[in-house]
Amino acid sequence: MTLLLQYTLLYASVLILVALGGCFSERSGVINLGLEGIMVMGALGGALTMKYMAGLPGIVIVLTTILISALFGLIYSLLLAVACINFKADQTIVGTALNLLGTALATVIVKAVNTAANPDDVSSNVQYIAAKKSLIVNIGGFEFNWFMLLAFVLLITAYVLLYKTRFGLRLMACGEHPQAADSVGINVYKMRYAGVMISGVLGGLGGIVYITAGVSEWKFENGVAGFGFLALAVMIFGQWKPLRIALAALLFGMFRALSNVYSGFDFLTALNIPSTVYNMMPYIISLLVLTFTSKNSKAPKAEGIPYDKGQR
Amino acid sequence: MKKEKRSFLQNNVVQSLLASLICIVLGLFIGFIVLLFINPSGAVDAILTIIKNFMVFPNGNIALKYLGNTLVKTAPLLMCALSVLFSYKVGLFNIGAAGQYVIGAGVAVYAALAWQLPWWLCALLAMAAGAALGAVSGLLKSYFNVNEVISGIMLNWISLYSMNMLLVKVKEDTSPYTKQIAIHGKAALLPSLGLDKLFYNNKYVTIAVPLAVLIAVLVWVVLEKTKFGYELKATGMNKNAAKYSGMAEKRNIIVTLMIGGALAALGATMFYLSGYEQWATSQSSVPGMGFNGIAAAFLGGLNPIGTIFASFFIQHITEGGAYVDKTMYSSQISDLISSLIIYLCGFVLFMKHVMSKHAAKKGGKE
Amino acid sequence: MENPYAIEMLNITKVFPGIVANDDITLQLKKGEIHALLGENGAGKSTLMSVLFGLYQPEKGVIKKDGKEVKVNNPNDANELGIGMVHQHFKLVECFSVLDNIILGVEPCKHGFLQKNAARKKVLELSEKYGLQVNPDAIIEDITVGMQQRTEILKMLYRDNEILIFDEPTAVLTPQEIEELMKIMKNLVAEGKSILFISHKLNEIMSVADRCTVLRKGKYVGTVEIKDTTKEELSRMMVGRDVDFVVQKEEKTPGEVIFDVENLSVGSKTSKKDAVKNVSFRVRAGEIVCIAGIDGNGQTELVYGLTGLEPVKSGKIALCGKDITKASIRKRNTSGMSHIPEDRHKHGLVLDYTLEDNIVLQRYFEPEFTGKTGFLKRGNIRAYAERLIEQYDVRSGQGPVTLARSMSGGNQQKAIIAREIDKDPQLLVAVQPTRGLDVGAIEYIHRQLVAQRDAGRGVLLVSLELEEVLSVPDRILVMYEGEIVGELDPKTTTAEELGLYMSGAKREEK
Repeated sequence: MTLLLQYTLLYASVLILVALGGCFSERSGVINLGLEGIMVMGALGGALTMKYMAGLPGIVIVLTTILISALFGLIYSLLLAVACINFKADQTIVGTALNLLGTALATVIVKAVNTAANPDDVSSNVQYIAAKKSLIVNIGGFEFNWFMLLAFVLLITAYVLLYKTRFGLRLMACGEHPQAADSVGINVYKMRYAGVMISGVLGGLGGIVYITAGVSEWKFENGVAGFGFLALAVMIFGQWKPLRIALAALLFGMFRALSNVYSGFDFLTALNIPSTVYNMMPYIISLLVLTFTSKNSKAPKAEGIPYDKGQR
Repeated sequence: MKKEKRSFLQNNVVQSLLASLICIVLGLFIGFIVLLFINPSGAVDAILTIIKNFMVFPNGNIALKYLGNTLVKTAPLLMCALSVLFSYKVGLFNIGAAGQYVIGAGVAVYAALAWQLPWWLCALLAMAAGAALGAVSGLLKSYFNVNEVISGIMLNWISLYSMNMLLVKVKEDTSPYTKQIAIHGKAALLPSLGLDKLFYNNKYVTIAVPLAVLIAVLVWVVLEKTKFGYELKATGMNKNAAKYSGMAEKRNIIVTLMIGGALAALGATMFYLSGYEQWATSQSSVPGMGFNGIAAAFLGGLNPIGTIFASFFIQHITEGGAYVDKTMYSSQISDLISSLIIYLCGFVLFMKHVMSKHAAKKGGKE
Repeated sequence: MENPYAIEMLNITKVFPGIVANDDITLQLKKGEIHALLGENGAGKSTLMSVLFGLYQPEKGVIKKDGKEVKVNNPNDANELGIGMVHQHFKLVECFSVLDNIILGVEPCKHGFLQKNAARKKVLELSEKYGLQVNPDAIIEDITVGMQQRTEILKMLYRDNEILIFDEPTAVLTPQEIEELMKIMKNLVAEGKSILFISHKLNEIMSVADRCTVLRKGKYVGTVEIKDTTKEELSRMMVGRDVDFVVQKEEKTPGEVIFDVENLSVGSKTSKKDAVKNVSFRVRAGEIVCIAGIDGNGQTELVYGLTGLEPVKSGKIALCGKDITKASIRKRNTSGMSHIPEDRHKHGLVLDYTLEDNIVLQRYFEPEFTGKTGFLKRGNIRAYAERLIEQYDVRSGQGPVTLARSMSGGNQQKAIIAREIDKDPQLLVAVQPTRGLDVGAIEYIHRQLVAQRDAGRGVLLVSLELEEVLSVPDRILVMYEGEIVGELDPKTTTAEELGLYMSGAKREEK
C-alpha cells in the first residue's frame, strides 16, 4: 500500500508539473503539443547531470539536476516559441516535430556520449543509480522523493502566479483575447514567450522526475512513452485550473502507479490480468476521461491562433 | 518576359517545391552541424553516406538490390503519408496514423500466421481494423470534441500494447519475433509479379511498390476531381460553411479518418506481408513509420503526387542513416533530420509569404 | 495664444500595397468638443485611427498634441498622450470581471501582486462622477452590452485619458441606450474631455457633434460645423452623390403562407435559459418580414433554428406546408429555403475556394454539376459561375477562378446573394445582409430583396439597423430576450416606438 502511495505521488508529481506547463502555455494562447519532447530534453539534461555528479553531496546533486533539467526544457521550448509566435507556424505541426526531434536528438546525443566513453557501447541508456539515492529520504518504508516537494511548491506558486499577480492577469488576457491585451499596451508576443518558456521549465522538470520515478537507468530511444500527452489529458480534465489539475493528476498518477506495483496486491494478481493491460490502463482511462470532459471544455478562447498585430 | 518571371515565383506549385527544397537543405545542414559537434572528423563522410544511401555500394547490382529495399519501405511510408495528408484536407492532424499502422500490421500478420489467409484477405482485414481505429478518433472528434492529436496518441499506445498481446500467440518459441511469413504463412506473401527480377532478385520487392504509387494518384483524383473531395476540402477550410451548405461534416470527418486509417493499415500490410521484417512482440515504442508519414506529407506540400517523391526522400535518408559509421554516430541521425524537416515545414507558410512578397516587390519595381 | 486643438493629425498619408488607405487627410480635434468622423466602410476611418494609435506608421504627415509634434509608435505612446478608445467590437476579456478588465495593463501592484481594493475604489468614484453604472465584480459575459460599453468608457477614464474616441458606439445599442450614451458624451465634454465620434449614422452626428470631418475612399472631403450643415449635405459629402434614403417599393398584397413557425424554442450556448422562447410567426408570399431587435436578443439562435444550424428544443417549422422542424440543412436548402448568413466569412464562403466553387456551394451535388460516378462537372460549374457573375455584376480580379478571400466585402456578399437567389427559393432568409457594406452595395441589396418580394417569394430579413428596419420590410416583428414582443407596421411606426419595444420597455399583450 505504501508503495502504491509512493508511486502515485511520484507520477502525480510528474503530471502536475507537465500539465501545469501545458496550462501556462495554453493560458498564454499557445497550444504546446511538444511537451513530450520537452520532457525528453529535460530528462536528458537531468540524467546526464546525475550520471556525472554521482558522489557529490546530495543537496548539490538535487539542486543541479533540477536546474539543468529546467534549463534544457526552457531552451528546447524556445524552438516552439520562435516558430509559433514569431513565424506563426502551425502549432500542431511544430509540436509534433518537437516530440519526434526530442527523442531523436536525445538518442543521438546519448549514443554519442556512450560511444565516446566506450566504443563498443552503442546503447541509448543513461545510468544514474548512484545519484538517485540523494533524491530519496526513507521515512519508515515510504521513500519520500524531493521531487514531490518540488511539485507541491510549484503547484502553489503556479496558483498564486496565475490568480494573484499582474503577470497572471496579463498572461490569461493574452490567451483569451490577445487583441484586448494589445489594446491596453500588453506585449502579447512577450507574454506568449513567457507562457511557453514556463511550460519548458515545468516540462523539463517533469521529464527528469518521470524517468527517475521507477527505474535507475533510462533508454532514451523510447522517449517518454506518451506521458506528455497524458499530462495534456490531465490539463484538459483539470479545465486549465491548477488545483483541479492537481486532483486530476493524483487520479491519473494512481493508474500509472498500478502498473508498477499491481503485483504487490494479492487480489490484483489473483485476477491474472497480463501486465500489458496495466500498461495500457492510463491511456485508456485518459481517452475515456477526455470523452466525457472535452465537450464543455473551458479552453482559453484564443489558444492555437497565432497572434498577428496587423489583423485586429 | 519579366512578367512571366514574376508569375513564376507567385505560382503556388513553384512556391511549394521551393519551400520543400529549402526544408530539405536546411534539415540536412543542421543535421551536418550536429554531426560536426559529435565528431568533426567523420561528419562529411557521414552526411554523404546518408544522402547516398544505396549508392554507397560501388557494385551496381548490389546497389540496385538495396534501392529495392528502400522502395520496399517507401511503399508503407507513402501510405502513411497519404493517410496524414487525406486527413489534413478535412483539417485533422492524423498523428494516429502510427497506431493505425500498428493495428494494420498486427491484424495482417495474425491473419497470415494464425489463419493462413491469402494476402489480399489479410490486407482487407487489416484495412478494416485500421478504419475502425480511425473511426474511433473520428467519433471522438465529431461527437465529443476530443482533440484528434491527443486521442490519436492514446490510441497509438493502446494499439501497440494490444497488438503485442495478440501477436504473442504467433511468435517463435525462442524469440520475441513473430514467425516468418515466408515459411509459416506462404499464402499471405505479397506477389511480386516479377518485380523482384528488376532489383537483382530482391524478393521483397512486390506489387506493393506500384500499388502505393497508384493509390497516391487515386487519392489525388478523389481530392481534386470528385464531389467527395470538394466536400472534404470545404470542410477542412471552413467547417462552418460546410455545415451551412448542408454537408454532413461530422460524417465526413469520420469517413475521412476511416479512409486514413485504412490507408495506414494497408501500408503496414505492404511492409509486413513482404516478409522483410518480423514483428517484435517485445517492442516498447510505436514504430516510426506513421510519424515519418507526417514528414513526408508536409514535405510533399500536402499534394499526393509530391508526397510520392517526399516519401522516397525521407525513406532514402532513413536508410542512409543505417550505413553511417556506428563507431562515431548513431543511425537515429536520420530521424533527427526528418524531424527537423517536419519542424521546418511549419515555416512553409512563412516562406511562401516571403516569396510572394519578394515577387510582388520585384514585379512592382520593374 | 493657446493652441485650441487637443490633437491634430495633419496631411496623413498611409499606403498599403495596391491601395492608398489615407490620402493626405487632416483631422483637428478642438479641446472640449465632440468631433464626428464620418465616412463609409472603407473610407479610411479605421486606418486613420490605427495611425493615431501607433499601429501603423504613416508615409507622410504629422501628429500634434497641444500644438507640439509627437511620435506615436505604439498604443502605449497613445495612452501616454491621454488618448483612449472605445472600439466598435469591445476589447474585453469575457471571463474576467469588470474590474479586472478596467485595470488590465495599468494594474496597481505591490511587488507584482495585484492590489485590487484601491482600484475598486477609484472605479466606483469614477462611475459615480460620470453616471456610469457598473458592478465591478460582475463577469463580462454575464452583463448587458450597455454595461460592457460603460466598462470600456471607464477603462479610458481610469487611465485619465483626455481624448476619448468612440468607434461606431451605437451599433449595438437601443435608441434609448443611444440617447443615454449621448448624454454621457456631453457630460464627459462638460468635464473637460474631448471626444472623437466615429460614425456613419447621420442622425446621431447631427444631434450630438459640434463639428464633423468627412472622408471618402481614403480622401479628405472636408470639415464642417454641424450647426451650419444638413443631413443631406453630410450624406452627399460622404457618398459623393445624392442618396435616396427611401427604398422604392410598390404596394403589394401578400399571398398564401409560405413559412409557418409555431411556438419555437431554441436553447442557448452560453446560458441555461433558452435563447428563443416560444416564438410564432408567419411569412407570406410577396412580403418582407423583418425581425428587429438589439444584437444578442436571440435573433442569431432563431435563425440557426430555422435554417437547421442548431437543433430546436420545441415547436414546429413548416415551409410551404411541409414540416421541416427536424429536416437536415441540406433538405431545407433543397426544399425552397435560401439563407444569406449573418457572418459571410464564418458561414457564407469558403474563403480559400475560388469564386466558382463558392457559387456552387449550395448546388454542387445536383446532377448538373456532379455526374453519376461522383465526379464534378467542371465545365458546367464554370459556365454557371460565369452566368451568375455576369447577371449579378460580381466583380473580381480573375473572374470564376478568383480566390474568394481576395474579393472585396461587397462583392463577396453579392456572390452569396447571387447564389442564394438563383436557387429560386420560396423563402429567402437574409440576416444582416448589408452589414459592413458601402451605400452603393446596400442599395443594390435592398433592391434585390424587394425584387424577390415582388416575384412572389417570402423574405425574412433580420436586421439591427434602424433605418433598414423602417424602410425595407412590410411588417416588423420585434425580438426582445428571445421573445417576439410586438408587431409593427413600418409605415406608421416611429424610431421611438420601435426603440421602446426593442429595449423591453413596451410589449404587446398576447
